[in-house]
Amino acid sequence: MAKRDIPEINAGSMADIAFLLLIFFLVTTTMDKDQAYIRNIPKKVEIKTEIIEVEQRNVLAIKANNQNQLMVRGEIIADPDKISEKIIEFYNTNRNVNDLTNDFPTYTHPTKNEIEANLKAAEKELESFEEQDAGDALIDYAYSKIDEWDKMKRSLKLFGGNDFPLINSQANIRIEVQTRTQYSLFAKIQTEIEEAIFELRDTEAKRIFGESYGVIKTRYISDEEPIDKGKLDLLDVLYPARIIEVTPKN
Amino acid sequence: MSKFKKDNGKKLPGVNTSSLPDIVFMLLFFFMVATTSKEVDPTVDVDQPTGTKTTDLTPYKQRSEIDFLYLGEPRNKARLNDFKMGYALSLDNVVQATSDELYTTNAVGQWKKDKFEEKKSRVKVPITGVITCVKADKGAPTGLIFDIRKELQNVDGLTIAYAVRDNGNI
Repeated sequence: MAKRDIPEINAGSMADIAFLLLIFFLVTTTMDKDQAYIRNIPKKVEIKTEIIEVEQRNVLAIKANNQNQLMVRGEIIADPDKISEKIIEFYNTNRNVNDLTNDFPTYTHPTKNEIEANLKAAEKELESFEEQDAGDALIDYAYSKIDEWDKMKRSLKLFGGNDFPLINSQANIRIEVQTRTQYSLFAKIQTEIEEAIFELRDTEAKRIFGESYGVIKTRYISDEEPIDKGKLDLLDVLYPARIIEVTPKN
Repeated sequence: MSKFKKDNGKKLPGVNTSSLPDIVFMLLFFFMVATTSKEVDPTVDVDQPTGTKTTDLTPYKQRSEIDFLYLGEPRNKARLNDFKMGYALSLDNVVQATSDELYTTNAVGQWKKDKFEEKKSRVKVPITGVITCVKADKGAPTGLIFDIRKELQNVDGLTIAYAVRDNGNI
């Protein structure tokens, strides 16, 4: 039997098929990304605990009322862009020298030995909780405390030197809104907080590691290298973002 | 003797289109890579506020670890007064009005639980880590957002994301 030539496949309709797929993807997808501020909601606790007094100097209250007027630390502010300056001032005023006469949170300078002592104490606490069978909530709490001190220990090692400046553990940023405050203002407050924290950490990152905070962060997201994790942890310890969102009363 | 050839009945050769599929495929691949699939078109009008220094949710979305809820003005403006403070909540494209009905802020807890049950087998994080993204309109009252927050707290959905439109300058 004679060998036959295989006829060529007609590829003329390939373009049509590709166009069809292209148009499908054009219609069902979108270019804009979902961008958001991620926040944690505190866990609900059933046990009534004593209310701990927080010194006024450790609180940075950002209040917004139903008429969308702003107040930061008791001062009425017309321009919301000023909030980030206030936050930077809040963190940096006493960072080098503690001045007890002003109204800003104080700093401690824990040494390696102090941190290790605290870590040991936390471990002991966990042991005693486990012996007493104190319940999951308390044991979780003890674990989180150990994690915290461990993170601090690693951070100090990375920071170098004998001690590092640590803001008062009670220092927090508090967002107090009312029920009719517009979401745009609430989002603006979140933006300002994020900007301030970014700037503080960025300056510190450039000083210690010689690269910007944003670079470290994006690299960690894509590569997840433990070195970058350590760097981010250190920056988090130096400038912790403790944000409290107060539920508005009706 | 003429310098120009006369049209001697020959036809113009057709344009070679054999590389057209290649071009179109290139475009197709560009769009497949550069875009993300659209969430459902919300049944409420949401005009997001802008912000900077946001977190990109795409990695979470790719792992489908995220639940979206929309808070905005209802499309049908005649029903504006049916809703609490004039803003409607859209959960999976269902909008309902009165507070005892399904899919108001009261239903957020149940909705979140159902959503988690549905994806439990695929998602590795516990419910506390599954992000709930609130896409709210510029004018939405924060009171409603805190209502949602409270419902989420009740079911241990402890990670919330406040969506904004990033205005770009990094």
